Amino acid sequence: MTGQRDIRARLPHRFPMLLVDRVVDVVPGERLTALKAVTCNEPWYEKLGPETPEEDFAYPKSLLVESWCQSAGVLATWDDPNPDVLDGQVMLFGSMTGVEFHRPVLPGEVLEHRVRLDRRVDDTVLFEGESRSAGETVMTIGRIVMAFRPAETLRPAAATT
Amino acid sequence: MPGASPLAGLVEVLPSEDESRTAARFTVQDSETVLPGHYPGFPIFPGVCLVECTHLAAVATAPGGAKGGELAAVESTRFTGPVFPGDRLEIAMGWKQTPAGEWQCRAKLATQRGDAATVRLRYRPRTTAPEVAP
Repeated sequence: MTGQRDIRARLPHRFPMLLVDRVVDVVPGERLTALKAVTCNEPWYEKLGPETPEEDFAYPKSLLVESWCQSAGVLATWDDPNPDVLDGQVMLFGSMTGVEFHRPVLPGEVLEHRVRLDRRVDDTVLFEGESRSAGETVMTIGRIVMAFRPAETLRPAAATT
Repeated sequence: MPGASPLAGLVEVLPSEDESRTAARFTVQDSETVLPGHYPGFPIFPGVCLVECTHLAAVATAPGGAKGGELAAVESTRFTGPVFPGDRLEIAMGWKQTPAGEWQCRAKLATQRGDAATVRLRYRPRTTAPEVAP
């Protein structure tokens, strides 16, 4: 089992955008399973009031994807971690296809992100997988493409990533 | 009141003459909630927040038949240019109904520097209240 210390040694993300809590299984270069507990104390819930209907407390789907992608990031950098986004090779989110949402996720649920490394071609890594909660699949990921590029690529002067 | 969202700012709907071609704008303020953690010392607007901007813009401009729909899928997304605090995103959307009765929204996002992303979302009619996990 891998906790925050090792996760933070691999991801540059920090509060409130560090969306991986724990790694429970990893086969480097092949697959990883990570957990993320959803809580109503995350800042996205701050503005919701007493009249808010229950369905509006659904975890934002964009962040469901982000949390899964960060899990993929932990797998991609397992053997060669670089948590510094300003130096060396940084991981960029290139594209995604076929991301399906099957049901809303609410505060109190624990997401289990299952990530499989499909292929690695030069500096590009392709992943697929799904997220489960309470024994159900809540999201499937057809394909996510991540690319490792020099940190300079991210500078405001750069026209594209 | 919209539901939980990583975005603090509001999407501004722009006028459109045709309900199948809509437009919106989003300005990335320095105070956006996600930026202190993405990344410390180097704020960059996350790709998934471009998806969220597109989703909120789509919900706000959905044509008659697509109104009230639920986000069923991110069919595809390509991130083509970084987005930083202070950038203004222009979101141009095209709507089409699928043979299955769902709605597809194809969007192009650009900043003042050029293309930022293409995002294709699919919405299904919201039929029942979402189930709550035990």
